Amino acid sequence: MFRSLLVPRVAARSAFKQQSLPTIFTPAIGRRGYATSEEKDMVIIGGGVAGYVAAIKAAQLGLKVSCIEKRGTLGGTCLNVGCIPSKALLNNSHLYHTVLHDTAGRGIEVGDVKLNLAKMMSSKEDSVTGLTKGVEFLFNKNGVEYIKGAASFTGEHDLKIELNDGGERTISGKNIIIATGSEAMPFPGLEVDEKRIITSTGALSLDKVPEHLVVIGGGIIGLEMGSVWSRLGAKVTVVEFQERIGGPGMDVELAKDSLKFLKKQKINFKMSTKVMSGDASGDKIKLELEAAKGGKQETLEADVVLLAIGRKPYTGGLGLENIGIEPDEKGRLVIDSEYRTKIPHIRVIGDCTFGPMLAHKAEEEAVAVAEYIVNGHGHVNYGTIPSVMYTHPEVAWVGQTEEQLKEDGVTYNVGNFKFSANSRAKTNLDTEGYVKILADKETDRILGAHIIGPNAGEMIAEATLAIEYGASSEDIARTCHAHPTLAEAFKEAAMSAYGQPIHQPPNVRK
Amino acid sequence: MFTTTKTLRQAASAARTPLIKFTGPRKWDSGDHARQAHPASPTHELPKDFSSTPNSASFSSYRQQAQQHGPLGASSKIGKHSGHSLGPVEPAKGEYFDRNELPARFRRTPIDLAEIDAIETGGAALWS
Repeated sequence: MFRSLLVPRVAARSAFKQQSLPTIFTPAIGRRGYATSEEKDMVIIGGGVAGYVAAIKAAQLGLKVSCIEKRGTLGGTCLNVGCIPSKALLNNSHLYHTVLHDTAGRGIEVGDVKLNLAKMMSSKEDSVTGLTKGVEFLFNKNGVEYIKGAASFTGEHDLKIELNDGGERTISGKNIIIATGSEAMPFPGLEVDEKRIITSTGALSLDKVPEHLVVIGGGIIGLEMGSVWSRLGAKVTVVEFQERIGGPGMDVELAKDSLKFLKKQKINFKMSTKVMSGDASGDKIKLELEAAKGGKQETLEADVVLLAIGRKPYTGGLGLENIGIEPDEKGRLVIDSEYRTKIPHIRVIGDCTFGPMLAHKAEEEAVAVAEYIVNGHGHVNYGTIPSVMYTHPEVAWVGQTEEQLKEDGVTYNVGNFKFSANSRAKTNLDTEGYVKILADKETDRILGAHIIGPNAGEMIAEATLAIEYGASSEDIARTCHAHPTLAEAFKEAAMSAYGQPIHQPPNVRK
Repeated sequence: MFTTTKTLRQAASAARTPLIKFTGPRKWDSGDHARQAHPASPTHELPKDFSSTPNSASFSSYRQQAQQHGPLGASSKIGKHSGHSLGPVEPAKGEYFDRNELPARFRRTPIDLAEIDAIETGGAALWS
């Protein structure tokens, strides 16, 4: 009888706690103390979206975490001088533009409309401050130590921190995460002063509406900031080296239509044009332009020039040379599939390594890296990272473009649905654009979704979920969508991909 | 009404099987942590200095490569976890490593010397 109660000693040692075997890293709680109180389970350099999310996730998983940020506020580029303030200005400038130009047809008579730029900027600051303080609050509640200062490696586990308040301290980490983000790419010959020659940072804080703003680069940042200042009254000229706007990820058809819509908003474009040189010594900034393929030259005068030719990883001052880590030719830190550098306990996430420089990509990596360390597994699907351009109309996409599918020799069906046939868009008097869904011809699985139109940035979430789950266009089409909503356009585009939409005549491409 | 809804659902599911299905709770395969190129890496390969050459300056680098009755690195199950992480070396409630830890009524009855002698001599000791 007692036999069943007995566990042989050897068997018992190897058998118990089998469930916990996948645990790779045991949180510090309940562990033996170490010689220095400054050793943490995880030290994160950078308090941007990648860094702060990794810090909170790791703390939730039981690690002792410190996060070092030199800006003085958390949230990095995104919250302080990127996504968040730009969206505040985009939203308010759109409202201003609507009130100025689009009320009469809606039966609203307005009187004298004036722009109070200082107030608009202060409203933007309120949004930023509320969010950055919110992250600090979350650090506090999750027990993350927030260190304000600039960190540099003195050893593979050791960091020296120049504190913002003066003084210095050292800290060591069993795991170290580099999440130092990116910075605007400089333009040779034009020195940034953030007053006349500006990056996206300066474009968020101009103290007056420039008479003529020239944007070098027709990518997402350039077009968003160009839209803001155009709506507020500036003459805006975008100079783009390529034949198309929106950058390489945007579907060509959408890029063409977006260009058309932005031109209607009186934004000027000089496509296939390169900036040869600039001179900011006079009252006006003079830019020498030339056709990208050579030939036609012209001089453009501007009051303010926005450099929006891309971003590059920011890893300066980290002392990486002290530990033998070198960036690649584009400044990215090289990592493996679990974000490990060649020194395995030092990992890199966000803009300073591979992949698109997007806050939501960084956030995904932040969660995954903490999970890899604590649980031994993580998940980021780089095939389903959406992109959004917050112009009006918005442009959003996820998955593959038609060009990529053609290049890969994949046969596909195209489903299109125009917002001009969507009831909610009609009631909103906001009908520019369409939804385009690309589905595998054989299996009907959705391979890509491309939206230009109102609320595209929100609607792309449905497409991302569909692609992540491996849904077919018929799955979407047979899913009930509330009426009247803009999202019905997505359902009808899915219907169009595998059959026919209800509210649009057959064979309407867009 | 409920019956009608149920019937409609059954009819719909009989007509078509959606590609989206609930496949049960997520299960992670975390066994293999061998280095692989990052999926977004432009070269799709790891640099040479990510190879098996141990970096003696770091214990964790050394441990990634070290061998002791098999690899000690994270890709191996041998030596992957510290003894501490396996939990306390104590049997669960109601389990015992040794019969002598059981309540007295379950322990062996003590054997006296005469009985031992009897067993060893095939019973002859009883007659000597």
